[in-house]
Amino acid sequence: MADVAEEAPSVSEPLDLVRLLLDEVVFVKLRGDRELKGRLHAYDSHCNLVLGDVEETIYVVEDEENDEEVKTISRKSEMLFVRGDSVVLISPQSRIH
Amino acid sequence: MSFFGFNNGHNTAATGFSQAHNPFQGLSGRDDDGDALEFEDTYDGLGDQLEETKDAYNDDTFGDTSDIAAAPVGKDFDFFSQTAKVQNAIEEEHYLFNRQQPPARSAQPAQPVQQMSYGQPSLQSAASYGYTSQGHYRTGYEKYSNDKYNNNEPVPELQVDASLWGVAPKKPAQPAPQVSQQAAQSSSAPSRKILSLEEVEAQMKAQAQAKAAQATPSPAPHAQGPSQIPYDPAIQFAQPAQQQFVPPVDHTRQALPIHVLQRPQSTQAPSPQPPVQPAAHQRQPSSTSVQPTQILQNPNRLSGDAARMGMQQHPTPPVPGPSAPPTQPAHRQQGSFGRQPNIITHPSQVSQLTEEQRAAYMEQEAKRAKRNHKIYLMSRDNGVMTPQDKSFVTRIQLQQLVAATGNPNEHGTDESLTEDFYYQVHSSLQGGQRQHPNQPLNNFAQTYLFQTGNRSGHMRRHRGPENHMQRMEQQVQRAVEAAKNKPKNKQLVIEGSLGKISFSNAKTPKPLLNIKRTESTDDANRPSSAHKVVSAGDRKSDLRTIERIYTILMKMEDHDRVLPPPPTSDTDVEGHQRGMRWSNEAQALNQDLWSALRVYDEPQPGHPHPFVALLSYNKGMKAMNRIFRHLSQEQRTTILTLVIVNLDKLDVVVNAQVTSAAVQLTAAMRENIHIFSNAVMNTLFNFLNELDLDIVAGLLSILSKQRLDIIAKSRIGASMITMILSRAEIIKVNVGNTHPSWQAWDMCHTDFFDRLEPTLPYMFPGSVNTADDIYVWQLLAALGIGASPEQQQRLVLAVKDRVMDTVALSKTLPADMGAQRLQNVNLFMRSIGLDVELLQ
Repeated sequence: MADVAEEAPSVSEPLDLVRLLLDEVVFVKLRGDRELKGRLHAYDSHCNLVLGDVEETIYVVEDEENDEEVKTISRKSEMLFVRGDSVVLISPQSRIH
Repeated sequence: MSFFGFNNGHNTAATGFSQAHNPFQGLSGRDDDGDALEFEDTYDGLGDQLEETKDAYNDDTFGDTSDIAAAPVGKDFDFFSQTAKVQNAIEEEHYLFNRQQPPARSAQPAQPVQQMSYGQPSLQSAASYGYTSQGHYRTGYEKYSNDKYNNNEPVPELQVDASLWGVAPKKPAQPAPQVSQQAAQSSSAPSRKILSLEEVEAQMKAQAQAKAAQATPSPAPHAQGPSQIPYDPAIQFAQPAQQQFVPPVDHTRQALPIHVLQRPQSTQAPSPQPPVQPAAHQRQPSSTSVQPTQILQNPNRLSGDAARMGMQQHPTPPVPGPSAPPTQPAHRQQGSFGRQPNIITHPSQVSQLTEEQRAAYMEQEAKRAKRNHKIYLMSRDNGVMTPQDKSFVTRIQLQQLVAATGNPNEHGTDESLTEDFYYQVHSSLQGGQRQHPNQPLNNFAQTYLFQTGNRSGHMRRHRGPENHMQRMEQQVQRAVEAAKNKPKNKQLVIEGSLGKISFSNAKTPKPLLNIKRTESTDDANRPSSAHKVVSAGDRKSDLRTIERIYTILMKMEDHDRVLPPPPTSDTDVEGHQRGMRWSNEAQALNQDLWSALRVYDEPQPGHPHPFVALLSYNKGMKAMNRIFRHLSQEQRTTILTLVIVNLDKLDVVVNAQVTSAAVQLTAAMRENIHIFSNAVMNTLFNFLNELDLDIVAGLLSILSKQRLDIIAKSRIGASMITMILSRAEIIKVNVGNTHPSWQAWDMCHTDFFDRLEPTLPYMFPGSVNTADDIYVWQLLAALGIGASPEQQQRLVLAVKDRVMDTVALSKTLPADMGAQRLQNVNLFMRSIGLDVELLQ
C-alpha cells in the first residue's frame, strides 16, 4: 500500500501539478500569440521552462487590404528555454500523437 | 437684520407722513453708517394692510392704552411684548415664508383674482392687491392683523404674497396698485376715509406744532404708538434706539413745514420724480433731512435681499393706477431700489388725488411707519451676533443634536438624522406643524432654516476659517457617533426574517463564504480520496507516483553521497554508529521507495498493475535503472518477475503488436519502445545476467503461462524472450547442463516452445521488405540454440517462408543492405547449424 501520509504533500502547490508533467509533452501558451509544444524537461517557481523537441507556433494577423487572415508560423527547436513571465498556461498534451 | 440698510434714494419719500409719526427718524440716521442691520430681515410689508380704524383690541395688543395716556412717559409701551413672546416663531416663520414663496404661490387660491388684476388697472386690481397685500401679515405679524385691526378685506388669510411679490419686473409697478386700492377704499368707504384724513392731518399738525406725539383724537393706532415713543425712552429700546427716537420728533415738526414750503422746489429732488407732483416733494425733503422716511419705505429692503424679495415683488401687477400713470416711468427708473418708487409715487399721486385719497394714502403711510417701528423693536437685537457667532452657535447646536440622543421633536431618532439628514430637515421645514408659536421649531430645522438659502449664502462669505474647523469637527463627531451606534455584534437577526444580516467594516469584512473546516473530516477525506486515486490507477496518480519515486530516488542518491567512511577499526565506535545511522536511514529510504513502487499493490480490475502502469511512462521507464541500483536482490527479482508476469499487459507490448501489413507504429510508440528497450530492458538484462538458472527457469515458466502470442508479436516481448533464453544458454555454456535444475529448465523450455510455435510465423514486423526485423531473428536464434533437433525442424518449418523471402529479397537489394538482411537471417540459420549460403 502506498503511504498516503507522505503522498499528500506532493500536491501542496500548483507547480506540483506541473511537476507531474516533467518529461511529458506539454502544451504551453505564451503571450504574444505563441504556443509551444514540447517535452518538459525542467521548470522552476517562475515558470521558467526548459522544453525539448519544441514546436513553436506563432499566430500572426496579417491585414492585407482589410482582409484579415491569421497566419501561423511554426518552427522547431531541439531545446528551448522559456522565460516564465511570458507563460500563460501549461497543459498536458494527450499522449497519443 | 435691520431695516437700516435702505438705499438713500428712499430718503426722498413723503415727508408729510413721516412727520406725523416717525419715531425712527433718529434711527434712520444710522443708515449712513451702513451698520450690520439689514432691513430686509425684518420688514414684511404688512404695514400696508393695517387697518387704522379698528382699535377695539388695542388694549389686548398694547396693554391698557388709557394708562399710557395717563402717563405719557409710561413704560407700558409694550405692544410689542406680545409679539416678542413669539419673536422666535415670527422670525422663523418669516424665513420659512420667504423660502416657500414660489411653491406657495402656485397653490394660492387667490391666483385668479390676481391674474385678473394684472390685466386690469381697474378697481379689481386694486382689490386684488389688497388681498395680496394682506399676505404680509403672514410674515409674522398676525397679531396685529388679527387682534388689533379688523381687516376689511374679505379674505384676510389669502396668501397672495407669493404672486404679489413673485414676479420680478413688477417692483416699480407696485405703487400703482396701492394707489388704486386706496382709491377703491376711499370710494367704497368715503366717510371713513374722510375721517381718517382729517384725523391724520390734525394729528400731523398737532405733532408738528406741539412737538409732542400726544395721542391724537384719531383712533388710529399709529398715532398712539409713535407718539408715545419719545416719552418712553428706556424700557423697550436699546440705548442707540432711544437716542434716535428723540430726533424724529423734531424732524417731524420740521418736516411738515418744510415739505409745504418746498413744494415748488420739487425739481431739486435727486430722484427722477416728475416735478409736477408736490406730494413727492413733500416727502423728499423730509426724507433727505430725516431718515425715518426710509423706514417708511421698508419695502426697499427688498432691494437688499435681491433674490428673495425681488421675487416676491414681481407678482404685483404692473397695472398703473388710474391716477398714477405719469408717475410710473419715474418709478421704473428707480427700479433698482425695489419698492422705493412706491413711496415716491404716492406723494405724486396724492397731489393729484382728492383729499380723501390723500388721506387714505397718509393713513397707509402711517400704518407703515408704525409697523416699521414695531419691526424695529423686534429687531433691535439684530446684529448683536456676528455671522461668525451665529455660525458657531449653529455648529454647536448641530453637533449636540447629532451627538446627543435623538431630538424628541423629531420623528426620527439620532440615527435617522444621520441617515436621512436632508429629508428630516426638509420635512421639518415643510411640515412646519407648529401647534403653538411658543413651541420652538425643532432646533435642527431652526438652525438649518437660518443657515441655508440666500441669507446663509451671504453669511457664509463672512465665515472665518474656524467655522470650517467647526464643520469638520462636527462631521468627525457625527462619524464617531455613527460608528458608536452601529451594532456591536456582527450579525443581526431580524425577527421574522429568514436569514441573518451581517455587518462588515474595514477590519472585518463581510464574509462571502463561510466554510467551516473541521480537521477530522479533512484528515478523513484525504486518505480515502488519495487511496481511491491510487487504486484507480489514472494517469495523474501514476504521474504522482512517478514523481514521488523520483523524489525518493534523489534522496537516496543524496544519501549515498554522504556514505560515511568505513570505521577505521573495530574500536571506532563513532564510525560504527555513523555507519549504523546511515544504513538505517538508507533502509528507511528503501522502504519508502519500495512502497512507492507499489509492487505489491493489487491491481484494480480493468487496470494494469500499478507498477506496470509506471512503465507506460517514459520517465517511469527511465527511472528503472536508478531504482534497481537502490534495491536489494530480492526486490529486483520481484520486480523482474512482476514485469514478466505482466509482460502481455505492458503498454509497449500490447499497443505495439506487429502485423503482416506494413503498418508503422506511431512515432510516440516507437519512441516508447526505444526508451523501454534502452532503459528497462537493459536494466533487466543486466540484472538477469546475474540470476541463477533456477530463477531463469522460473521466469520462463511464468512467461509461458502468459499470452505468448501477444508477447512474441511485439519487439519488447520478443526481446524479453530472447533475453531469458540467451541467459539460460549462457548459464548452460558456463556451468554445463549437468546441474539438476536443467531438467526443470528443459521442461519449461519444451512447454514454452510448444506454446510459442503457432506464433512463430507472425512475429515478423510487416512484410518481408521491413528491414527492422533483426530482433526476430535473434529470438529465433535463441530458440534454435536451445532447441532440440525436433524443435529445430519445427522452427525451420515455421519460418521457412520468411527466410526464403528474405533471401530472395536480399538479392534485389543493394549489396550492403542485402548482406545485412542475409546476416540477420544467418543468425537464426547458424543457431540451428545451417547457413544462408546453403539456400543460395
